[in-house]
Amino acid sequence: MPKFVPSLGRVGRALIALAALVLLSGCEWNFWRMDGHQSTMVVDGPVAREQLRVFYVTCWVTLFIFIVVGSVLAYTMIKFRAKSEADEHAEPPPQSHGNPLIELGLIGASVLALVIIAVPTLKAIWVTYDLPEPERKNAYAVTATGYQWWFKFEYPNEQAAVDNTGTKAPLVTGNELVIPAGRPVRINLRTVDVIHSFWVPKLAGKVDMIPNRANVIWLQADQPGYFWGQCAEYCGDSHAVMRFRVIALAEKDFAEWRDRQLAVARAVAATAADAARPRTQVTALRAFHRNEVGVTAKFDQNPLEAWRAKQQPAGNEDAALIAQGRQLFTTKTCNACHTVRGHGAMGVQGPDLTHMGSRTTIAAGLIENNSEQLRRWIRDPESVKPGNKMAKAYRENKISLNDEEQVAIVAYLESLK
Amino acid sequence: MDATAKPAFLTREESAPAKPRLLAHPTAKTGLMSWLTTVDHKRIGFLYGVFALFFFLVGGVEALLIRAQLMFPNGTVLTAQQYNTMFTMHGTTMIFLAVMPLSAAFFNYVMPLQIGARDVAFPRLNAFSLWTFVAGAIVLNIGWIGPFFGVEGHNAPDAGWYGYSPLTSKQFSPGHAVDYWVMGLQLLGVASIAASLNFIVTIINLRAPGMTMMRLPVFTWMTLVTAFLIVLSFPAITIALVELMMDRNFGTNFFEVSGGGMPILWQHLFWVFGHPEVYILILPAMGIISEILPTFSRKPLFGYPIVVFSGACIGFLGFAVWSHHMFTTGMGTVATAAFSLATMAIAVPTGVKIFNWIGTMWGGHLMMRTPMMFALGFVWMFMIGGFSGVMHSAAPADSQQNDSYFVIAHFHYVLIGGSIFALLAGIHYWFPLMFGRRVSEFWGKLSFWVIFVGFNVTFFPMHFLGLNGMPRRTFTYDPNLGWNSANFIASVGAFVLGIGICIYFAVMIYTYYKGERVGRDPWDGRTLEWSIENPPPEYNFRVIPTVHARDAWWYEKHHRDEIAQEKEAHARAEEAHGGIHMPYGSIWPLVVAVGMLIAAVGITAFEAKWDVPGIHWKLGLSLVGGLVAFLGIYFWSLEGNEGYHLHLDKDGKPEAAHPPAGH
Repeated sequence: MPKFVPSLGRVGRALIALAALVLLSGCEWNFWRMDGHQSTMVVDGPVAREQLRVFYVTCWVTLFIFIVVGSVLAYTMIKFRAKSEADEHAEPPPQSHGNPLIELGLIGASVLALVIIAVPTLKAIWVTYDLPEPERKNAYAVTATGYQWWFKFEYPNEQAAVDNTGTKAPLVTGNELVIPAGRPVRINLRTVDVIHSFWVPKLAGKVDMIPNRANVIWLQADQPGYFWGQCAEYCGDSHAVMRFRVIALAEKDFAEWRDRQLAVARAVAATAADAARPRTQVTALRAFHRNEVGVTAKFDQNPLEAWRAKQQPAGNEDAALIAQGRQLFTTKTCNACHTVRGHGAMGVQGPDLTHMGSRTTIAAGLIENNSEQLRRWIRDPESVKPGNKMAKAYRENKISLNDEEQVAIVAYLESLK
Repeated sequence: MDATAKPAFLTREESAPAKPRLLAHPTAKTGLMSWLTTVDHKRIGFLYGVFALFFFLVGGVEALLIRAQLMFPNGTVLTAQQYNTMFTMHGTTMIFLAVMPLSAAFFNYVMPLQIGARDVAFPRLNAFSLWTFVAGAIVLNIGWIGPFFGVEGHNAPDAGWYGYSPLTSKQFSPGHAVDYWVMGLQLLGVASIAASLNFIVTIINLRAPGMTMMRLPVFTWMTLVTAFLIVLSFPAITIALVELMMDRNFGTNFFEVSGGGMPILWQHLFWVFGHPEVYILILPAMGIISEILPTFSRKPLFGYPIVVFSGACIGFLGFAVWSHHMFTTGMGTVATAAFSLATMAIAVPTGVKIFNWIGTMWGGHLMMRTPMMFALGFVWMFMIGGFSGVMHSAAPADSQQNDSYFVIAHFHYVLIGGSIFALLAGIHYWFPLMFGRRVSEFWGKLSFWVIFVGFNVTFFPMHFLGLNGMPRRTFTYDPNLGWNSANFIASVGAFVLGIGICIYFAVMIYTYYKGERVGRDPWDGRTLEWSIENPPPEYNFRVIPTVHARDAWWYEKHHRDEIAQEKEAHARAEEAHGGIHMPYGSIWPLVVAVGMLIAAVGITAFEAKWDVPGIHWKLGLSLVGGLVAFLGIYFWSLEGNEGYHLHLDKDGKPEAAHPPAGH
C-alpha cells in the first residue's frame, strides 16, 4: 500500500479557494444577477411569471433535498474516512447488506417531494399552453413566420393599403413585433423552411415553429416595454444571429402605430430647400471585423424611447438622394425580394420594408438601425450574417454597391418611416 | 451446480481436417497481426479503450475551440460554419466515439472476468464489433479532410448531433456532410447492437457455476441492462437514419415537407432512441461506482437488490420519457403532463442509487485513494446534474430552459460529472489489473482536483447563463446581454479542465511504462476479476471459479481452505476433459468491417456529376465494399468455430503447445 500524501488535501483546498475566488470576482461583473435583456428570472408577463413560479418550486425543493442529502454525504465522508494507514488495515467493518425499512422510507420521501413539484407543474401546463376558450376571441391575433434567418409578423385582422388603388391586405412587418400591452396576444407560429423557435424570455418560454404543424403561443406584456427575443432552435449557419424584438405599447400608442403602418410607404417630395442643399458628401465606410458588435450603449439605456424617436421622419432629409436610392432599389433588383407598399416593390422572400425606417434594428434584430450599420449591412451582408439569402442574391446576380449607391439606398430606407 | 458438466464443444479434442491455407487459423501471439486478428476480450477491450480515449481527446479539442470562440462576446476564432461543425462533432464524438466505446471497453475487459468466464460468448463477433466501430468512426470523421483538398460539399457534419429534420434535407444541407453523419451512425449502430447481443448472451450463458443472477456484480448487471437498452433503442435511430438516407438520395418523403412529410416524426424516432441513449451513457458509470464504493469502503453494497432493481427500472422508464426533449414542440397539454410526470418518476430510482451509495459508505473504512476520489466526485456532481434534471421535468419551467445554456450545464454535470468521472475512476481502479502497475497517488489526486475544479468552473456558471436567456448553439453573442463574465469564467474553466485531462493522460502513459508494480488484488477487492494475477493471462482463470456468495472473491478470501480444495478438484476435472479451451484468432471480422467501410464511403462520398463516363463511382465502390464484406462473412463461416486447448504447468504457464491436427 502506498503512503498517504497529506499535502494533496491542501492542494485541493487551495484549488477550491481559487475557484471560489474566480466565481466571486464574477460578482462585480454582475455575474449572477441574471437581469439581462433576455432574463427568465426578471419577467414582465403572466406566462413567464407562471413558468418562473414553477421553476422556483423545483429549485427550492431540490435545493432542500440537496442540502439534506449533501450534509449526510459530507458527514459520511468525514466521519468514516480512514485516518491512517493502520486504520485502512484494521479489521473490515461489519459486512451489512442494507436495511429495507430505511430504503423504502427514502423512496416514499422522494415520491412525496416529487408530488410537491408535480402539482404546480400540472396546473402551469394548462395555464401556459393556451388561453381558455372564451378568452381566445378577445386576444390580439398575430401570425409569426420563421425564415432562415429572420421573422415575419403578420396581423391578420389589420388591413393595410397595398398600393394607392385602395387594395387591401393584412399588415406585414418584419423582426419587430409591436403588440398592445396589458392584453393577451395569441401568436400562430409558422415556418417556411426549417424548424425555428419563438422565444421572448421576459414574456414567455419558447414554442417551436415546425413545418406542417400549427403551433400557437400566447403571451402578454404587463406594461409597455421593449423586449429581446431570439430563435432558440438551431436552424443553420446564422442561427445565432436570428433575433427579434417585441415592443409593447399602451392601447393609444398602439393604435397610432397601427394607423401609420397601415398606410403605404412614405414618399419624400423635393422642397425648395433641397435645391440649395450641397450634394451629400460621400466618404468610404470604415471596415468592420467579422461579428463586430452593432449596437451602442446609448441605445440600451432606454430602447423604448429610441423606438419612439424612430417613428417620426428626420428633420433634414435629402430628397434628391432619397429619390436616387428609390431608383436604385429597383435597378439593383432589391424589389425582387422586398416589399415596399406603394413604391412598386412586391418581393416576398425578404422582410417587408414598407416602414423599415421606423424600426430600431436591422438584419433580424442583430444591429442597430442607423446609417452606419445599415450601410455595413447592404455593402456586405455575408460578413454580418453568414449564409443569408441576400448575400446569395448579390453573388448570383453579381450585385455590388459603390459608396455613392450605398449612401443613396441608406437614405431611401431611412426615409421609410 | 456440477462444475464438471461441460458443454460438448469444450470437451471435443481437436480433430479438424486439413484446411486450405486461406482458412488457416492465425496463430500470432505478438506483433501487429496478433492485434488485427485478436478475439481475446481483454485485447479488444484495450483497443476499444485506446480508440475511445483518442476520440475523447478529439472531442475535447473541439470543445476547447467552442469555448475559445465564446470566451468574449463577438468572438472571431471560428466562422459560423466552423462553429456549427464543432458543436455537431463535439456532441457526436463524445457520445458515440468516446463515452459509449469507453463503456464498451470496460464491458469487454471486466465483465467476463467478473462472471468467471474465459471470453465472451462470440469472440469473433466481438472483434467484428470493434472493427465496425472503427469503420463508423472513420466515416463520421472523414469529412474533416474535405476542405484540405478543396472539394466542394465534403465537410464534417454540421446539422447538430440530433440532426433535426428538415435541416438535414438535401435542400437545407446540400453536400455530403449529412450523408457521412448518417452512414457513420449506421455503422456505429451495427457495432453497438452486435456487441450488446454478445454481452447479453455472455452474461446469461457463461456465468461461472454458482454465479446466480442475484450474485452478479452490479457492474455486470448494469452491462446487461445497458446491452438491452442498446438492442431495443438503436433500431429506432436505424429506421430514422434509413428514412433520412432515402429522403436525401432516393426521393422519398418521410420528412420532406413539400411531399407531405412530417419533420416531427424525426424528433419522435430520434428521441425514442436518444433518451435511452442517455441511460446507455450513465448506467455503466453507475455500475463502476457501485464497484468502487464498496471496495474502498470495505463493505458490501448497501441494498444490492434495490440498486439492481432501480437500475433495471431506470432502463424501463427510460423508454417512456423521450418526449421531455420535445416540451416546446406543442404536443398538447395531456401529452406534456404525462411525459412531465414520467420524467419526475425516473428521479426516484436514480435517487435510490444515491441513497444506497451513501448507505454503503456509512460505517465503512473509507480509503481515499484516487479511484475513490473520482467516485465521490461522481456522486456529488451527479447529484447536482440530477437536481437540475428534476427542474427540467417541470414542463413549464423547461419551456424557458430548453435549448438554453441551463440544459448544457445540466447534461454536462450528468455526462462529465457523471459518466466521465466514473470512467476515469474505472481506469484508475482497474489499471493495476490490466497492466500490473498502479498510478502514483499524488499525481492521480492532483489530476482529480484539477479536473474537478476545472469542470465546475466551466459548467456551474452556465446555469446562470441559461436562466439569463443565452440560447445554445450560437456562435456569437452581443456584449449587452449580461453574459460576458459567465462566458469568460466558463472558458477559463474549460482550459483548466483541459489541463487536468492532459495531466491525467500523461500520468497514465507514464504509469503504463514506468509505474510502480503491484501484485494480485492491490485494492483488497471483492469481485472475481481480482482473484487472478495481473496482467491477466489470456485464459483468465486457471480454474473456472465456483461462486458461493455475492462478492465472490471477498468470500473466497475469507474461506481460503475450502475454496482451495474445491479448486483443486475442479482443475483435475477440467484437465481430464482436455484442458483450457481457447478460441482461435480470426482476420475475417476485420475484413468484413473493411468491406462495410468501403461500401459506406461509396454510398456517401460520390454523386452523379463526378461520374467518369462509363464508371459509376457510387454504385461501383459500394458493390466492391459489399463484395469484400460478403467474402469476409463467407470465409468467416468456412473457417469454423473450433478452438484449441491449453495445458498449464504448476506455475500457470502454458505447456509446450499441442498443435491441433492439421497444422
